[in-house]
Order: sequence, then C-alpha cells, then structure tokens
Amino acid sequence: MSTPTHDPHSGDRPDRGTGTANQGTDPTNPSPASAKGSAATADANSAKPANPATVDMDEPPAGGSFARYFLRKLGGAATSMVLVIVLGFFAFRMLPGDPVLKIAKERPMSPAQIAELRSQYGLDKPVIVQFWDYLVGIVTGDLGESYVYRKSVSALIGEYLGPTLLLTATAAVIAIVLGLWLGQISAWRRNTLFDKLASSTSLIFWSVPTFWLGLILLMIFGGTLQWLPTGGMITPGLDPWSPAGIIDVIKHLILPVISLVAVVYAQFLMIMRASLLEEMNEDYLTTARAKGLTEDEVRRRHAVPNALLPTVTVVFLHIGGLIAGAVTVEAVFSWPGLGKLTFEAIRGPDLPLLQGTFVVFSAIIIVMNLAADIVYRFLDPRVRRA
Amino acid sequence: MSANTPAEAAPGPSSNEPNPRGSETRGSDPRTSGRAGPAVDGAKLVRERRMNNAKKNWALFRSDVPALIGAVVLLFFIVIAIAAPLIAPASMLDVTKQLDVPRYAPPSLDHPLGTDDLGRELWVRILWGARVSILVGVAATVMSMIIGTIMGLAAGHFTGLFGGIIMRIVDFFIVLPSLLLAIVLSSVLERGVFTIVVAIGLTSWASTARIVRSQTLSVESRLYIERARILGAGHFHILFRHLLPAVMPLVLANTTLTVGGAIIAESTLSFLGLGDTSKESWGTILKNSMDVSAATSGYWWYVLTPGVAILLVVLAFTMVGRAFEAIINPALRSR
Amino acid sequence: MTDLQFENVSITYRSSSDRGDVVAVEDVSLDLPAGATLGIAGESGSGKSTLIMSALRLLPKSARLEGRVLLGGQDIRELSFGQIRAVRWAQASIVFQGALHSLNPVREVGSQIIEALEHHSKGTWTTPQKRRDRMFELLAEVNLETSKSSAYPHELSGGQKQRIMIAMALACEPDIIIADEPTTALDVIVQKQILSGLARLVAERGISLLMISHDLAVLSAVCANLAIMRHGRLVEYGPSDEVCLSPQEDYTKQLAGAFPQIGDPESRLNPRTLKPAEVVRAEPFTMTDEVVLEAKNLSVSFDTRRGRERAVRGVDLQLRKAEILAVVGQSGSGKTTLARSLLGLQEVEAGSQLSFAGKALPKQAKALRAFRRKVQMILQDPAGSLNPKRSVYEAVVEGLKVQGIRDQEYERVIGALEAAELTPAEDYLESIPQELSGGQRQRVVIAGALALDPQVLIADEPVASLDASVRGEILSLFLALKKNLGMSALIITHDLGLAWNIADTVAVMKRGEIVEYGEVDRVLSDPQHEYTQELLAAVPRLGSQSLVRNE
Repeated sequence: MSTPTHDPHSGDRPDRGTGTANQGTDPTNPSPASAKGSAATADANSAKPANPATVDMDEPPAGGSFARYFLRKLGGAATSMVLVIVLGFFAFRMLPGDPVLKIAKERPMSPAQIAELRSQYGLDKPVIVQFWDYLVGIVTGDLGESYVYRKSVSALIGEYLGPTLLLTATAAVIAIVLGLWLGQISAWRRNTLFDKLASSTSLIFWSVPTFWLGLILLMIFGGTLQWLPTGGMITPGLDPWSPAGIIDVIKHLILPVISLVAVVYAQFLMIMRASLLEEMNEDYLTTARAKGLTEDEVRRRHAVPNALLPTVTVVFLHIGGLIAGAVTVEAVFSWPGLGKLTFEAIRGPDLPLLQGTFVVFSAIIIVMNLAADIVYRFLDPRVRRA
Repeated sequence: MSANTPAEAAPGPSSNEPNPRGSETRGSDPRTSGRAGPAVDGAKLVRERRMNNAKKNWALFRSDVPALIGAVVLLFFIVIAIAAPLIAPASMLDVTKQLDVPRYAPPSLDHPLGTDDLGRELWVRILWGARVSILVGVAATVMSMIIGTIMGLAAGHFTGLFGGIIMRIVDFFIVLPSLLLAIVLSSVLERGVFTIVVAIGLTSWASTARIVRSQTLSVESRLYIERARILGAGHFHILFRHLLPAVMPLVLANTTLTVGGAIIAESTLSFLGLGDTSKESWGTILKNSMDVSAATSGYWWYVLTPGVAILLVVLAFTMVGRAFEAIINPALRSR
Repeated sequence: MTDLQFENVSITYRSSSDRGDVVAVEDVSLDLPAGATLGIAGESGSGKSTLIMSALRLLPKSARLEGRVLLGGQDIRELSFGQIRAVRWAQASIVFQGALHSLNPVREVGSQIIEALEHHSKGTWTTPQKRRDRMFELLAEVNLETSKSSAYPHELSGGQKQRIMIAMALACEPDIIIADEPTTALDVIVQKQILSGLARLVAERGISLLMISHDLAVLSAVCANLAIMRHGRLVEYGPSDEVCLSPQEDYTKQLAGAFPQIGDPESRLNPRTLKPAEVVRAEPFTMTDEVVLEAKNLSVSFDTRRGRERAVRGVDLQLRKAEILAVVGQSGSGKTTLARSLLGLQEVEAGSQLSFAGKALPKQAKALRAFRRKVQMILQDPAGSLNPKRSVYEAVVEGLKVQGIRDQEYERVIGALEAAELTPAEDYLESIPQELSGGQRQRVVIAGALALDPQVLIADEPVASLDASVRGEILSLFLALKKNLGMSALIITHDLGLAWNIADTVAVMKRGEIVEYGEVDRVLSDPQHEYTQELLAAVPRLGSQSLVRNE
C-alpha cells in the first residue's frame, strides 16, 4: 500500500522547481520585492538602435552552478540518511518496550538467560556507548547479528538484496511506462470511454491493499488455474543462469510483479493525467495549434514533454512506496528478498534484522531520490540553467 | 479566450481559490465600476451568501453520482460498525462456542459469507472488523491531519533557520515511505489498537504537510498577506486569520481521501502481524487466512470478503473525498 | 493577398455553470483589406480576443460561432481540418503575448520557429538546412543574435521573447498578422522598440495587421483604423485619429481621456473622469514645506542566486505634508524596493537614514507597528490585496484590530469607506471582493489604509491593474485625499502620465538611482537627464500613427 503521498488525485503536483521565472514563490527567496530585485539589471537605456544585438533591456538570469545544486541535494540526502540512522538506533532502544523483555515474552527465559542476552547484544552498556558501537558498525558494514538466523545481518541482507532489486526494478519500469502512457492518453481524451475506464480501474486498484491483490492473484493463477508457481523465486534444483532457469524465474516473477504494478501504475496514471490536464490550457499549446500542428503533434511535441517534468519527481517519490509494498508482496509470494526478510524479522521479532532492513531500505530510497533530483536537473532546462 | 486581467475577471461560481488562470471566467464581465449595489441589510446578506454557497455545494455534490453512492456505502458501514453488538453478539466470535459450526464452510444460505478455520461466521467477523478498521482509519487520519497541517503551515510560513529545519523534517517524511516507518514504530511499541493509530498517524502526515505547504506558499505570496504586514500584523495574526482559514478546506477534503489510505495501512500492519490480535479487524482476518494458506487451499471466500470490504470502504471514502475536492477547487471540476 | 472579413459574427460560450451561456461577441462586422492595419481596443471581457481567435478557428470547443468569418473570401467554417491547418500560419499568423507563456518552456526557441517552417515549407524551406538559414534570417530581422536560437524561453527577457514571437509569425511569409496584446507586460521603452519594429516589418512586406490591445494609445500609434469593443459589441469604428482625437461615443471619450497628454495643461492635476472625487474642504490643502518622510543615502541590497545585488543605491528623497510625489521608473528600477524600505518592510544597508517626522525609523517590532499607523501602503493589485473570503467590513477593520484600536470601530470603518468614496458605505459592508469591480476593490484597499488615519500613503502602481476607464476615478481620489485631509502620498508608477495628472513632484529612477528629481511641470516639460527624455519619447501618443510615421 501506502506511499508517502497516497493521493493520486489532482492537487498532487510538485512545486515546479524554479518554474515560471519571476512570478513564482521561491521559498528560498521569499520577499516579493527581491523577485523584482533579481530583475534589477534592467538595462533600460541600451535602446539605441546603433547596436542592434544588445537592443534589449534586462538580460535574464544566468545559470546557477551545477555543483551548488548537487551539493544542496547531496546535503539533503545526507541529512535524511543521518536521521534514518539515528532513528534506526533510538527507535529500537529508547521507545517503551525493552527489546530483550519482548523476546523474553515470546519465549520463556530465565533472568540469567535474559542477562546473558543483554550482554550478548551489548544492551548492558550505556546508551551512548551502544550508539557509538552502532555507528562504527554501520560505517564498517556490521549491522549486528540476527536473533533468529544467528547470522550477521549484513550477510543476510547481502544475500536477499538481489531478488528484491530484481522484483522492484521490473515492477517500477513496467508501472512507469504503463502509467505514464495510459495517463497521457486519458488526459488527452478526457471524458471519453477510454478515460473513464482507465481512471476508474486505477481508482479501484488504488483502493486495495497490495498484499490482498497478491493473495487474489495467487488464488486464481496459482491455486485454481495452477498456471503459475505460487511462491519462491526459482524451482529448487534449477540453475538460475540456464535458459530453463531464466524462464522459470520469469514465471515466478509474473504474479508478484503484477501485484506491485497494479497498485503503483494507478498512481502514476493519475499523476500524469492531472499533470497533462494542467498543461492543456497553457498558451503555448494555442501557439502550436495556430502554427498548424495536428492535435497529435501538439500533444506529443508540446504538451507531454512539459507535463512529464513535474511527473518525474512525483513518480520517483512513489517508487519509495513501491519498495515498501515489496514487504507484503514478498511475504505473500515467499519471494526471497529483503521484504520477506523484514516479514520474518517482524515475526521473530528479530530487532537487529529489522533495524538492518530498515536502514538498508531507507538508504536505497534516499539514493533513488537523489538520483531523481539529478536526472531532473538534466531534463528540465528551467532548472538546468536557471 | 479573452485576456482577462485578474482584476476584473468574474470569479467562478465558488468563491474559493485558487483559480488563477480563471478557466471559468472567460469572456464575461458585465460589471463596471457602476454601483451594482448589494442590498442594505448586511447580516442578512452574509446569511444568504452562506446559504447559497451551501446549496450550491450540495447541488454539486448531489450531481456527482459516484460520490453519492460512496456516501451511502459509508453510511452503511458506519451503521453496521456501530450496531455490531446488536446485530451479532460478541459471543458469536468466541471460538469455544462455535464447536458445532462447520469449519471452512463455503458461502450458503446458512453461512452467508462462509466460515473460517475456527468455524466463526465471516460476516460476523467483517461486522466487528469494521469497528476497528474504520476507527483506526479515522483516528489515524485525524492525527496525521493535525500534524500535517501544523508542519505544513510552519514550513510554508516561517523562513530562516526555523523554517529550514521544519522543511528538512517534512522532506524526510516525504521521501521515506510511511509504511516502513510505521512498521518500525509498531514493532517496538506494545501491540494494540492505539499503537496502530499512533504508528500510522505519526508517519503518514507528510503528504498533507506537502499539500498544506504548497498552498501556504501560494497564499503567502498573495498581496493580502503583505497588506496585513503593512497594517502591522505579526505571525499570529497572519497564521490564524489568513493562512489557516485558507488551507482548511483543502485539509478537510484531504482528510476524507486520507482515511482510505489509513485503512489500507491498518490492514497491511495487521497482515504483517503488527496489529492487535485480540481484536477483529479486516487486516487481522486476512492475516488469519494467510496463516492457513486459504488462498492456495481453495477457501476463496476467506480471502475475498475482507478484501472486498476494504475495497468498498476505501473506494467510498475516495469518491466522497474527490467530490469535496472538486467543490473546493473548481478548476478540477471539468475533469 | 488575402482579406479578412468578419460578417455579423456572434460567439457564445456554452457554460455548464448556472450563469448559462455567455455571449462573448455580438454581431460584429469588421473588414481588414489586404495590406491594411486595424486595431481593436477594448477592456478585459470585451470579447476582442475571442473575436480574433475565431479568424483561425482556434476557439475552444465550447464556443459557438454565428455569422461568417471570411479569409480570402473563403468561409473558414467550411474548411476541413486539414485545410484550416494549411491556412494557419501560412496565410495568417498570430503574435501572441510572448512575454507570458506563449512559448513552450522546455524547447529551444529556434526549434519552435523551425517547427512552423516544417509545417508550411511552401516549396521553399524544404530541407533542414534551408529552414535553419531561414530561422537565422528571421532572428536577424528582429534584431536578435543568432546565438539566441538555442536559448530556452526562460533565458530570454520579455522583449526578447516578444521578438521571437514576431520572428515566428513572419516565418512563413503570411498575408495577415494578428497581434494579441503584443506589448502587455513590457516597459515603455521596450514597448516602443517592439511596436515600431513590428510596424516596420509589416509595412515593408505589405502584410495586413490586425492588432488588439487594451491600450488605445498603443493601437493608434500603429494602426490606421481603430475599432472599439465593449461587452462583445462594436462601439465605434473609424480612422485612428478620428476615433482617438474626436471620439463620438461616451465610452470612447472615457477611454481616450484616460491617456493623459503630457504637456496638455487641461489634464495637469486634473485626471479626466466621469466621476471625479469631491473636494469638500473650503480651502483645499496644498503642498507645504514641512517634511514628513525622509530618506537619506538609502541603499538596499539583496542576496540573489547570482550574489548580492544593489536594488536601491544612495537615494535621497523628501516627502512633505500634502505633497504627492511620483516615483517613476521601469520594472527592475528598484522603485518597489524603495517603497518597502520607507515602510520598514525591507532591511536597508548601513549608512542609510530613514526618518519620519524628524525621528529615525524605529527598529523594534512594537514601535514599527505604531509607526505603520502613520504610514500606510497600497499595493499594486487590489484583487490580490483583499482576502477573497473576508467581507469589506472585515478588510477595512483588519488594520484597527491589528493595531489594537477598539473604540468606535464601526464609525471608523464607515468614515474610511466614505473618505475612499465608496458610498453609501453601509451597502458595501458585507460584500466580498468578488462582488466588487476592480475600482471598488481599490477603494476598499484605500479605505483599509485610511481607517488607521495615516499621514502618509505610499501607493505601488495603484492604477496599473485597473481598466482604463476606472483609472481617472482612482487618481482623482488621491488628489481629493490630499486636498481634503492634507495627506501626503508617494506614488510608485511606470507611467509618466500619472505624474502629470496628479503629482506635485516627480523622481525618475533608473537602476536603483534617482536620475532626475523635481517639480512635475519642470521635469516633464524640460527634462534634463537623457533617460527622462527617452522615457518621455517612448510614451505612446494618441492618434497619428506616431510610431509608423516617425520611423
């Protein structure tokens, strides 16, 4: 289910970077007069026809440096990462509910065993020392030892990371292509049967929990029809790199990917649709029509490129939701990935493992968003050179 | 397509912002500066205006068939949730009293929605589950709306170091999926309905904050805020007399939309085993069905019914929410 | 060559709202013979844009057209979509308001020009290379460097974007060019460049020009014939000079009167309006020597993306009791920043001295609040200055509430509204801004300031966003406030005519500095500084097709 912005409707347009030059509200530069100030280079007296090339007045703002932009975004990502790490530590230690007592509640243990467990996980040391150990551990890639698996958390995560990336990346690509494509057609043919069908289907998909959709698919195609395997990533014994193995993995992929895609593509469709609708009254489309372009050309060459830009940012934000959705889907389909690992960790409860998967999941999402910000800068000339 | 200047553009049917492009205002403004004077009695005029607005909004809502259906569905579920103890006494959920009921009975006249692995009637579980699911959905939403509105207003209004810090916090919560944070929170807190509410409420406010922040920024750039400053107003006056009223309609519409998300979040957390196992909720039923592999064993009703209940309620909230949104934002209406 | 004829054209917008269908244009007949120039003037909502869009069948689907639009004798409604696409741009092209959003923000402007050529190669621009050459040729025609072809719209200034629009319109050698408010949002000097450039290019090629604007002077400077539209109807039509200089209809007279002829003694300290504000004082106040607000060596800088910029540099100003001072300058000259600094809304550089009634401007929040009772400011756009949800009463009383003035609230509000000539004040108390016209809104804003009983009013472009016919009313109100209450006013404007109409003194600002400062009569009739002269020369005059003939 839930994505950070669970609202595929309308109002979900990102603030458009520096958007329309002087009349926007630039949060970094809030004084209305300073907007005027930036145009203060008005070179109004260069009106002499003698020098035709410089006839015009105010030279518009020159570009800001990429390095500055990059550093700002990097700083943001780093702050988020630090918050995640701090949260990862304190959430698991400072909140009510002693983790060891919690384990003790699930399994009968003597006070001596509890004390031993405490020292084993370093829980008897002062918090500040624990935090230091934790930080050192993160830097050196040591995320502690899993209570349940009795293995190093980093090793476990390394083992389970690949399948998750395979699953989420496949789902993301399909969802983006499908959602954006259907979304733009939907917006362009607003209120037609196609639009109504596409919009209502996506609303329905948007209204169900991802894991439930998985269960239903599992029931129909895995249970009743028996067309596709019901769990795992590969039939035991097959070599994943052999042709038969690859086909087998693809077969295992189909159902979990559909479950993930169904919920997320719906959101992309809604965002793209809203974003394109927003562009449809823009004056430059009238210019394009007046130039004699066909409606199709107007859409493809003018409206869509503009609508795509704000969509990109939101789409990348929703990818985080897709990764979170992997937790339940992997549990439903026993997909051997980080989500399944998280699920096992919750069942344990296996707090070091849960902490590890949380930090790694968050890191992946933060890096993705950093990448999105950088890609965006190259896509949008207004951000690139403004 | 007339090039209306905002000054004279006739506003759309609703007085609400924001409609800067004035899609409804094309080519008509019969008014000039002449005294097309309003009536004399001011208080009456205000009352009439409110009445008219309410009527207009109701007419708009009524013309939205999906929203009406959604409202009826919601009403139905709320009624059965409240009346659950009257319709089906709690003893019907007591496993020890269901020994003579067949397990895994498919839907039939005797068992309208079938029974589960312990012989409990699914319709009774759905009934009782509605209480927790809807309660959690609404309570978590209220919590996240309050946090989101405060954070969004602060992020949009304040500048400087304080504003920057708030902004970073909001960004952090926007980037990280709320489910992930909710899992962490609810796995370290005591299991219980309250924990679920807190876990969802504390982690899902970011989208509200984002909407409120962008609305605040757009209102903040309006001249009437500058005018208030010129008149000598401070933060308190601007925040509570101008900004809060301006974002409130948006927040309210968003509330309805968010409840759906919170209900799904509740079911997901329960499904992961983070819910209160002693209380019925739709997510818990789905978790039970997963535990007995109902999906692959042919007990389709066990999986289907709770999911359909979630779908109906979430869809209903969404439909109603979209109608509210269209009412406060006329620009969306043509969509 | 192609004629464009509108025959009894009516255009109605079907509307789903309860207001029913909206008639945008009603029974308009106009004729644009080949090679002619025609201007259509009208305020917002007059239907002029709707009318010209119908010429290329660019109206939205909700519009219904009656009557005939003939392009080269051919009814455009009878053309297939393919045919109309071929006509667009090749026979008739449009110069949109380039300064706004008429260019695709994410494509290079050169490629947007080439796109038009691709669709109408006319057997001439058949290869990419030829099209590129043509594009460079066009840029040269409109005095733009060829390097600008790879710029994105946001990298160009308003004037440059407008040049691109003109180059684009010329691209396929059309017979008719339709210009839609081509100089709105541009400064006077740039406006003059654009207009004279457009007029020259059109005249050289024998292209017919149909131009619409809200600005009568702009049209009369370029077009031979003028049509005046109001509420969708044609009010008056005739040769430019006749319409402007000896208008027949009241409405036209009002429009024409809104453009002050600088140097014309009749409009000096006398803005022309049908509804002048009343001067009630037997002995009206006149300018005194008592200085109320003073700035010495005022400098303001901002941190922008490009580092620190000085918006105001070493400005000295004095505002005396019952004086109206006009600060004139183009956008970006720092005049708004200057006004904000005078109110203490803007941080100033060290060394700047601001004083009110001989005392330095306070710094603490509380004292600043008290100070703002004395000095009030009116912002540019009355529609934006009022919270759309608050009634007139709430808007006017806001200042009293903020300042903690509790006694005689009602009386003060009524008094302020009456002083702002919104009478009978009681009728308006519960109206919300959307129920008021632009002029009425501006009166409410002024009343909001007057309620605090200020000694100084600072007004930022108080009439720029109002229709021409309302302009005179508001200006005469400022004059009346000075005469009745002895109020001082500092008015920020880009419009020299406004200074001529109401100001006692004028300060001309350029790039943050005051280049000329003195009595209005002296400065405007005998400008010393080159920049003042240039500004004066760029003000479009009514009638006489001045820009076409002078060039």
